[in-house]
Amino acid sequence: MVNVRLINVTKRFGDVIAADDVTLDIKDGEFFTFLGPSGCGKTTTMRIVAGLEFPNEGKVFYDDKDVTQLPSFERNTGMVFQNYALWPHMTVKENVAYGLNVRKVPKDEVNKKVQEILELVKLGGLGDRFPNQLSGGQQQRVALARVLAINPDILLLDEPLSNLDAKLRVEMREEIKEIQHRLGITTIYVTHDQEEAMAVSDRVAIQNYGRIRQVGTPQEIYNKPTDLFIATFIGKGALMEGVVEKVGELVDVKIGDMVLQGITTNEDGVKPGDRVACVMRPECFTVDEPDEAFNIIEGTLEWSAFVGSITELKLTVGRFSLLCDAPSDRTYEAGAKLKIYIPKSRTIVLPWMDLD
Amino acid sequence: MTSWGPNFDETITRLRRELDPMTLIQVVIGYLTLIVFLVLPLLSMVIEAFIYQGAVSLYWFWDILTSVEFTSLASQGGRMFEVRRGILILWGIDHGILLNSLIVAFSVAIACSVIGIILAFIMARYVFPGKQMFQVLLLVPLLATPFVNAYVIGKLFDPRNGLINFILVDLLHLLPWRLDIDGLFGITFAQTLAYYPIVYMNVVASLNSIDPSLEEMAENLGAKGLRLFRTVTFPLMLPGLAAGAIMTFIFSLEDLGAPIGFVGARANPLARKVASYQIYSSFAEALTGGISPKTAALAFIILIVTASSYGAVRWYVNRRSYAMLSKGGRWSPRVKKPSTRTRTLVVVFLLLIIGLASMPQIGTVILATTDWATSGTLPTEFTTKYLSTLWTNSQVTQAVLNSLLYSVVAVAAMILVGSSIAYIVGKRDIPGNKVLDTLATIPVAIPGISLAIGYFLFFSDVFRDTPLDPLIDPALLIICAYMIRRLPFTTRSVGAGLQQVDKSLEESSMNLGANHPTTFYRIVLPLIISHMINGAILGFVYSMSEVSASVTLGALREDRVPITFFISQIVYGAAATGSVSIGAALCVLLMTVQIAAMAISNFILKQKTSFLGV
Ligand SMILES: Nc1ncnc2c1ncn2[C@@H]1O[C@H](COP(=O)(O)OP(=O)(O)O)[C@@H](O)[C@H]1O
Ligand SMILES: [Mg+2]
Repeated sequence: MVNVRLINVTKRFGDVIAADDVTLDIKDGEFFTFLGPSGCGKTTTMRIVAGLEFPNEGKVFYDDKDVTQLPSFERNTGMVFQNYALWPHMTVKENVAYGLNVRKVPKDEVNKKVQEILELVKLGGLGDRFPNQLSGGQQQRVALARVLAINPDILLLDEPLSNLDAKLRVEMREEIKEIQHRLGITTIYVTHDQEEAMAVSDRVAIQNYGRIRQVGTPQEIYNKPTDLFIATFIGKGALMEGVVEKVGELVDVKIGDMVLQGITTNEDGVKPGDRVACVMRPECFTVDEPDEAFNIIEGTLEWSAFVGSITELKLTVGRFSLLCDAPSDRTYEAGAKLKIYIPKSRTIVLPWMDLD
Repeated sequence: MTSWGPNFDETITRLRRELDPMTLIQVVIGYLTLIVFLVLPLLSMVIEAFIYQGAVSLYWFWDILTSVEFTSLASQGGRMFEVRRGILILWGIDHGILLNSLIVAFSVAIACSVIGIILAFIMARYVFPGKQMFQVLLLVPLLATPFVNAYVIGKLFDPRNGLINFILVDLLHLLPWRLDIDGLFGITFAQTLAYYPIVYMNVVASLNSIDPSLEEMAENLGAKGLRLFRTVTFPLMLPGLAAGAIMTFIFSLEDLGAPIGFVGARANPLARKVASYQIYSSFAEALTGGISPKTAALAFIILIVTASSYGAVRWYVNRRSYAMLSKGGRWSPRVKKPSTRTRTLVVVFLLLIIGLASMPQIGTVILATTDWATSGTLPTEFTTKYLSTLWTNSQVTQAVLNSLLYSVVAVAAMILVGSSIAYIVGKRDIPGNKVLDTLATIPVAIPGISLAIGYFLFFSDVFRDTPLDPLIDPALLIICAYMIRRLPFTTRSVGAGLQQVDKSLEESSMNLGANHPTTFYRIVLPLIISHMINGAILGFVYSMSEVSASVTLGALREDRVPITFFISQIVYGAAATGSVSIGAALCVLLMTVQIAAMAISNFILKQKTSFLGV
C-alpha cells in the first residue's frame, strides 16, 4: 500500500500533449479515479504511474521513492488493461500464476494462492479453461485475479468495465469496490463514465486535454465545479450566459433584463463586467413559490415528460433552455408561462469559456 | 513508437532503461550481421570499382560504358526474325553485355506483367471448370529447376531435333518454318516462363484487396469494360503490379540459370553475353588472379540499377498503398460466369500458358527418369539410375550433404538474426530502429552475383587465411550469403507474426514483474513460433535452391560445392557430354523438398505463403 505522487508530469507524443503538467497526491488506500472525455490523457497518466510510459518532464513518487525512470517490472503495480490482455496461450490458472512464477514463489504456494484468488473473483471451477473459452465478464475477472495474485502496491484499472453490458457493469463495479475495500489497496481507476466514477471513487480527478481541471470528492465535483467544462461534463445542467454586475457576498449576474444571484467557486475569474455562465442543475429547481430568497426565472414551457418519480420540464427563457425536475403530482401544459425557483446557493457562477 | 527528442540526457536515460542484456545482444546481432555480411562487402566492391592504378577514378565505368563489348547501340551480332533454310531464327541482337542484360530484364518484366495481368484477371473475375486446379498449376514454374529449365527449353526449340519443332512442323504442319529459340531471346523466353507467377501472384493479391464497391461505384457512374479497367481497376492494382514487375526485373538481371542452361543446350556464344554470366565466369579466374576491378564495376552498375529501381518502386508503392486498403472487412470478389464460348477460350488459353510454362518441370522429370537414344527427339526407356546417383555417386552425395548442411545452418542463423531484428524494429523503442529496418530490407534489391563479388573481395582481403577466407574455405560465406539474401523475408515473416501480438500482452507481463527477456521467452516467443517455423521452412527451400552465391563462391573449392553448383557444372558441360540427367535428378530432389515444405506450411502450419514468399 503506498501513496502515489505525481509532480509536474508532462508527456508529449509529437504535437499531442497527453499529460500536461499533472500534479497529484493519491493517498494510501484511496480509490482514486481519472475521469474525462476520450483522448484526454487518462490512460497515458495511468501508464506513467505503472511505468509503461515515461514522462518527458516531472517526477513520480511512491511514498518517498522516486520511481520516475523505474521500469514497470520493478514497480509491483497491478494493471488491468482495457482489453484485458490475457495471454491466449495460457490457461486461466497459468495466467493468474504468471506473476507469482516470475517472482519464483514455490510451486505449492503458487497453487494455493491461485486457488484463493480465483475463489475471490468467483472463478473457482474455470482454472483450466483458455481465455477464448470465457465470456467477457469472466475474462474481466481473470484480468483482475491476475493482478491481485501478486499483492500489488497499487491497483490500476483502465476502463475495466467498458467492454461489458450495462447490467454486468453495475454488478462488477460493486464487486471491484468491495474487493478494493476489503484489501485496502491504493487504487487508480480510469473511466469516461461519470456515473461510474461517482459511484466508486473516494476522489475524482477531472482531466481534459491532458490537464487536470479539478480534484475532489464526487460531491465536491458535482456541487462545486470549478470551471464550466466540469460543470457541463458532470451531471445534467443548464447554463445561462450573462455579465457580472456586482460582486459581494453573492454575485449578481445580468442576463437580458433579468438579474440572478449566485455563488462562485472561482473568485479570480468573476469580476464586474466579466462574461460568465450561471449553471443550474435540474433537481435544484422548484416550481412552488418558496419562502426564502430564491432566484426567480420565468419562461415558457416547451415540453414536459413524466418519468415516474418526477416530471421533467423544458423551459425556454429568452434564448436559453432550462431543464427542471418538477413534482409529478400535477400536469403541466406546454406553451404556458411558468415560474421556477432556485436557491441562490445552488446557482453557480463560472467564468465563460467556449466549449467544443 | 515515441520519437527521440533532441534532449541528450533523456535519450541516455531511455537507452539505459531499454537496453537490458537481451535487447543489447539482439541489437548487436542485427547490426553486426548486416554490417559485416552486407554493408562492408558491398563497400569493398565499390572501392575496388573506383580504383584505377592506385587512385580514385571512374576509369572502369568509363571503360564499360564506352567499349562496344559492353554497351553498343549498333548491333554487334545476333539474329532476330531471320528465316534461313526453313528455320526462323530467334536469337536476339547483341548490343553489348550491359545493354543486353538491361534489355533482357526489361523485356522479361514487361512480358511477365502482360501475362501476369491477364492471368490474374481471368482467375479473379471468372468462374470456369477446373479453376482450382488451374490455380495450383499456374504456380508450377516456381518449382526450382535451376539451369535444367533453360536447358530443356533450349533442347525443345532446337531447330534440328527439338520436340516442339517436331510437333508443330513435322507432325501438325502448323508452322511454315522450324523455330530456333536461343541466345538472348532464349534467355528472355525462359525467364518469362519462370517468373510470370510472381507478377501474377502480386496482381491477384492487389485485385483481391480492391474494395469492390469502388468498381461498382464506377460502373454505376457509367464506366464499362475497358474504360472501367483503365480508369479504376488498373490504377488500383498498379502497386501490386509494380512490386511484382520489379522483382522479375531484378531476378532476370542476376539470373545465371538461363544463360548457363542455354550454353549447355546449344553452345551459342550469344547466351554468354549478359552481365550475370560475365561476373560468374570471372570467378573461375578468381582462384588464380583475383576479381578484376572491371568485374567489380560491372557488378556495381547492376547493383545500382536494381537498387535504385527497387527503391523507386517501393517509394511509389508506399505512397499508393492507401488505395489498396480494403475498407473494412471481407468482401466477396466480383466473379462472373461467362458464356460457354468465353469459358472454352479461357480454358484453352490457360492450358496453353501452363503447358508452355511447365515444360521445364516436366522436361526435368523426364530427363531424370529416362534414357535417350543418341540425339533422339523422344526418350526411349525408363530408368532409375540417375535418381539413384543421389546416394550412390559420392560426388553427388557430397553436394547434397553440403547443401543440406549449409541450408540448416543458414536457416538457424537467419531465424536468429531475423527474429532479433523483427523484434527490435517492431516492438522496441531503440534509437536507430529505422536504420536497422532499412538495412534488413536492402538484400531484396541486391543481385546475388554482386553480393558474391563483394564477399570475395572483402573476405579474401580483410579475413585472409581465416575460415572466412573464400580461397581457404567458401562454406561459411556461402552460408552467410544464403542467410543475408533470405533475411528480409524471414524478418518480414516474423514481423507479421509479431504484429498479431498486441502490445498490451507484453506490457501486462512486464507489469506483473517480468523483465524483457522473460517476457520475450514466455509471452512473445510462444505466440510467434509458428511464424518462425514457417519462415525457417521457406528459408530452407530457398537455401537449397539458391543459385548466384552457390555457383560463384562454390567454384572456389571442389569439396565444398552445393547442389546448384553441381547442377550448373553438369548443364554447362552438357554440350560436350550430351547428358544432364544427373542434374535433372538433383532438380527432382529440389522440387520434392519444395513441395514437401509447401505442404507443411499450408496444411500443418496453416500459413498462407507463396512458394517464394515474394
Ligand atoms: N503511444 C502513443 N503515440 C502517440 N500518441 C499517443 C500514444 N498514446 C496516446 N496518444 C495520444 O495521446 C492522447 C491521450 O491518449 P490516452 O491517454 O489514450 O487518452 P484516454 O485514455 O483519455 O482516452 C490521445 O490524443 C492519443 O492519441
Ligand atoms: Mg484510454
